[in-house]
Amino acid sequence: MRPAAEMKDFRRDLVSLLPKLRRFAMTLTRNANDADDLVQEVCERAISRSHLWNGESRLESWIYAMTRNLWVDEVRKRKVRGTGGMVDIYDQDTLNVEATAEKAVYANQLQEMILSMPEGLASVFLLVNVEGHSYREAATILGIPIGTVMSRLSTARLRLAAMLSEDTERRA
Amino acid sequence: MQQTKGLALEVRLSAYIDGELGEAERSELDALLARDDDARRLLDKLRAGSAFGNRAFEDFLHDPVPLALVRQIKQGPGINPKLERVTTSNLPKRSVRILPRLVAASVGLVLAGGIAGFILGSTTNFVDPVIETAASPWINEIADYHRIYSRQKAHLVEVPAAQAGEIERWLTSSVGVPFKVPDLARKGLAFVGARLLVANGKPVAQLVYRDQEGEIFAICFLRGGDGAGTAELSETIRGDLGFVSWQKEGASFVFVGPSSAAELQDLAQTVAAVI
Repeated sequence: MRPAAEMKDFRRDLVSLLPKLRRFAMTLTRNANDADDLVQEVCERAISRSHLWNGESRLESWIYAMTRNLWVDEVRKRKVRGTGGMVDIYDQDTLNVEATAEKAVYANQLQEMILSMPEGLASVFLLVNVEGHSYREAATILGIPIGTVMSRLSTARLRLAAMLSEDTERRA
Repeated sequence: MQQTKGLALEVRLSAYIDGELGEAERSELDALLARDDDARRLLDKLRAGSAFGNRAFEDFLHDPVPLALVRQIKQGPGINPKLERVTTSNLPKRSVRILPRLVAASVGLVLAGGIAGFILGSTTNFVDPVIETAASPWINEIADYHRIYSRQKAHLVEVPAAQAGEIERWLTSSVGVPFKVPDLARKGLAFVGARLLVANGKPVAQLVYRDQEGEIFAICFLRGGDGAGTAELSETIRGDLGFVSWQKEGASFVFVGPSSAAELQDLAQTVAAVI
């Protein structure tokens, strides 16, 4: 069991990480509700296993890897359950986002565009390009070879460039 | 460093952008880019995609996270974040997003009887905490100040607590808000002293406290403010800091402390009552 002060620090760090953790979860689930459920589950697990955290590497890398593992388990369970009427998240062509009157707002369009990229691209792009993880760190977090990180990253960049071009034309 | 020879050019240039290549490969690609227009155009395209993605991902951080989850982490288990879940990530503006979330969170509080104790006994109506990255400009400046000053070991304050009378005279005349230094010793906070800050171009009084674990808390107030607040205490969380703000008699107040401090609202309520 961790000393109370250390536990408090751990909880504080975890709270600070929540917006980024939710963003990472969104790239995995591509669905806000699933992302929130996943974040909650990860936080519960992280607190219960905080004694395993050695504090030597980045907390977010440890938490992100846990998040990815939990999501892989969840996808597997859904497949076993036959999805219970739900569409496998990775079989979706489009993002499962509730329609709202504000859906057309630009910021949300950007989010939709990002999350509608094929499986795996957004996570790699987020980790390397946005959050500055090395290829090796991203590969470890996502449980994929470095070569896959490299190819997904270049694909993500080219897709985003295409989106930018479409977006610029649409807004012109 | 990665070996990319034999891979598609976009993969190589992508690794080039990320500085993941060794010197030899980097030089090889530099030479290619110097003589090949298509390669340069591809590099520009990859860079444009990177910049566009960065902007889009930044927007994700503006989505509030489930409110009760923050409390669960801060205070331990016993409440169910799902009762307070509010998913409004599609709404465009923070001002539009927060209100329905707060309403929904309030309903969640009523439903979750166990949570009621959190606010029972309070004579002030609290609004549930919200994680956000942008709000009242003066509070944003306070956040920056707090992050810097709270790390100061030897010079945490300008005027020490021993000169409490002088602090009251000095800051009342400087800020234009009459006050008494709240005694929070019974709440576990020792008064350390005060500083005069500037936010929104106005003088701001900062009263600094330290708890038994060395965490720094501060009461900040200024005349007027940005007009965004109400007499109601509302809590917001920005990263590692929590803020409880309110307005009273033409002045704006904010109580700042670590976002992990579960007692932040209780402390702010005490301050609001006595300052």
